Amino acid sequence: MSELDKAIEQLRACRPIPEPQVRELCHKARELLIEEGNVVGVDAPVTICGDIHGQFHDLMELFRVGGDVPDTNYLFMGDFVDRGFYSLESFLLLLCLKVRYPDRITLIRGNHESRQITTVYGFYDECLRKYGSANVWRYCCEVFDYLALGALVTGAASNLPPSSAPFADPATAANMASDTSDVEIEILNSAGQITNRFPRQRRSPHQPQQQAPQPNSQPSSSSQDADVDDAPPPDSQATLSPSPSQSQGTNQLPSQTGAPGTSASSGARSQNDGGAILCVHGGLSPLIDTLDKIRLLDRKQEVPHEGAMCDLLWSDPDEIDGWGLSPRGAGFLFGSDIVKCFNHKNGLSMVARAHQLVMEGFKEMFEAEVVTVWSAPNYCYRCGNVAAILELGEDGSGGGYVPKSNGDVGRSLGLGGWEGPVNGEMRRMGGPGRRYRVFEAAPQDSRGMPAKKPVADYFL
Amino acid sequence: MSELARSFAAQKLADLPKEPPQPLPATPEDREDEYSSESSLSSTGTVLPSPSQHLVPAPPVQWTKYFAQELFLQHKLPSADEAKYHVYLTQPANLKSPLFVCHHGAGASGMSFAPFALSLRAALPSAGILSIEARQHGSSILNPDGDTVNDFSIAVLRDDLANMITLVRERLGWSSLPPIILVGHSLGGAVAVELAQKGILGTSLLGYVVIDVVEGSAIEALKYMQGILSSRPSSFLTLESAIDWHLRSRNLRNRESAAVSVPSLLRRTADGKWAWATDLAITQPFWEGWFQGMSQKFLSAKGAKLLILAGTDRLDKDLMIGQMQGKFQLQVVPEAGHFVQEDAPEKTAEMVVEFFKRNDRSALVLPPKVSDLIAQGKKV
Repeated sequence: MSELDKAIEQLRACRPIPEPQVRELCHKARELLIEEGNVVGVDAPVTICGDIHGQFHDLMELFRVGGDVPDTNYLFMGDFVDRGFYSLESFLLLLCLKVRYPDRITLIRGNHESRQITTVYGFYDECLRKYGSANVWRYCCEVFDYLALGALVTGAASNLPPSSAPFADPATAANMASDTSDVEIEILNSAGQITNRFPRQRRSPHQPQQQAPQPNSQPSSSSQDADVDDAPPPDSQATLSPSPSQSQGTNQLPSQTGAPGTSASSGARSQNDGGAILCVHGGLSPLIDTLDKIRLLDRKQEVPHEGAMCDLLWSDPDEIDGWGLSPRGAGFLFGSDIVKCFNHKNGLSMVARAHQLVMEGFKEMFEAEVVTVWSAPNYCYRCGNVAAILELGEDGSGGGYVPKSNGDVGRSLGLGGWEGPVNGEMRRMGGPGRRYRVFEAAPQDSRGMPAKKPVADYFL
Repeated sequence: MSELARSFAAQKLADLPKEPPQPLPATPEDREDEYSSESSLSSTGTVLPSPSQHLVPAPPVQWTKYFAQELFLQHKLPSADEAKYHVYLTQPANLKSPLFVCHHGAGASGMSFAPFALSLRAALPSAGILSIEARQHGSSILNPDGDTVNDFSIAVLRDDLANMITLVRERLGWSSLPPIILVGHSLGGAVAVELAQKGILGTSLLGYVVIDVVEGSAIEALKYMQGILSSRPSSFLTLESAIDWHLRSRNLRNRESAAVSVPSLLRRTADGKWAWATDLAITQPFWEGWFQGMSQKFLSAKGAKLLILAGTDRLDKDLMIGQMQGKFQLQVVPEAGHFVQEDAPEKTAEMVVEFFKRNDRSALVLPPKVSDLIAQGKKV
């Protein structure tokens, strides 16, 4: 077994590796990352993950739910560190996996991958506590500077291949379309059972929005008419849950392409004809109107306080028109007009991003032109949210899906058409087939957690 | 200096002849309404003792180093109670320049923002700063019989703050309110949030800054507060020993700030000692009401929001979610204690000024909307 494999094994057990080994790992990682462009090209199938924030045990749960590396391809959209108690183990494990399987895992930078932020929000203190010096923190920060700013996923299937995963609730199953050839969105729980499924909408003016998946579709919210109480409580679900290999198996396709998110096939197309997905930690920037402008940035630096690089890592989508000031103090708010324009111009079907806590684990906005994926369940051990990962399948059989690209449908409508019903027509195609796996926090192992801080002395 | 040396020094001080430093801005009765102009500053310039000299009782630090004027504002409340508010003020350069309205925490005083005010003005010379004093903290509220009114509910504290802003405007003859940033420390944060949420200041309110108070952790800490209060010395022999106690107990961590703010917390008693000016025990029934629901108000009120904390672990669930959803700006000053603006006045001022500049509507230019570009016939 190689040194690297040993390190992976040790980190999987949530035990830090020795400082010299971290140094070497970081050195190798930098050599690898320096070769990546600011926008890394990634072929579907891939599983997209949001913030982790040092919640190591939940990262293990994520791998259990989504499949292990290298069986599943992963794209992590940053914020690996801070807040949780195991930032070090989480980040080093991901970094080891990156070095070991460079084509299977993609890491891009979040706003917490920064010297300034990590000194305040925990990662620096954790390194100091675990190694007695700041060296490891310094090595990691050097790696942060080399992380890509975004990723472009191409070759994603427009429809989800039919899966034989069981339904969590048979009553829901009865309500759902039996025709599985045209599934746009499928939501699964951590036991690998389908909790919801949405066929691709043929939106017409008469079809009210409620038919479409709610923008912030909670796994159970759309099936409220079904008897939710039938769903087994989390405990019994856990006992019902198949082992990771089984859950992979249940998703196996009849074809050879493999389940979405798995790497059974690697012959993905690389062109944008299906509408690529841009993955970035925060969002868009007023200084960036084309992907090429991201590619031209000099990223090998600490995250600046303003400018395009800062915005990509800090901005948030919001229900506004145009741009807004971000309440965070960095980055911008951007409205649906901005995203639609950007996606259209760049041949994108969707922007996937993280950065914002979503209680339901994921949230689609602006007719699915933007999705937020959040992968830290019960964030900071107190927020009570669930987490999600997004699986995109490989485009092998995406029949019936008219690719959206430059010069395509809707172009001729002119640009006045972003508002009003006409545009609903233009946007009817929506994004790629999306399978969300929602999961809860792993049972907490309290070892290694710092003792609760004493309350402040004086607080009036 | 070691703990031992400090306590030794304190003892030494106690033994020194009690040559009383002149009482500071002592009781309101001693002072007339006065307008000190900037030019009078030079005559009252005071020298702070350097750490090595601090065995010598310090000359009292005057508010005049930090603010241009103090005002006493008489006001009859709807309850028929008579208010005599006390505030420190440096006017903004004009009514387009921002006014930072500061509200101290319980048991503190308007001087809690004194070094902060200096740093703020250094960074933003056109800014005005109004540091108010709450009832029983420098302002007094008397009922028609002349007795002190002991109502400290959040609503009356909020109205006091609103009244003081209005009265200052009237006194100075401002035609309108300048853009206002509320800055509240601890209880003051709760009052600021309450005022922001009520929308009393209308569009004049640009934003609000809350310093080191979060509903969850504050309410959790309340049960220890009685113990903490009862373990404080009830009086000090000298002002210097009071300053020293604040530093030794780590309540305050910046000698310059402590030298300014601590004397304002104390009043001379008949036997020549220095006792607390504010009886916090009588405010106890109101404590929970100060902080209850504060996180939701903080998140839902209109205006830009900045939370400055001494430690990240002070966020409660609501604010943790709010922060991670990008609803407000959080700044952490790990080197500071609870009195962030006193322990790190420059850094706090820098954060607040940056916050203002970012949210300054007069300077704000956002990139155009897509629809506007289209209207202009531009290709997007």
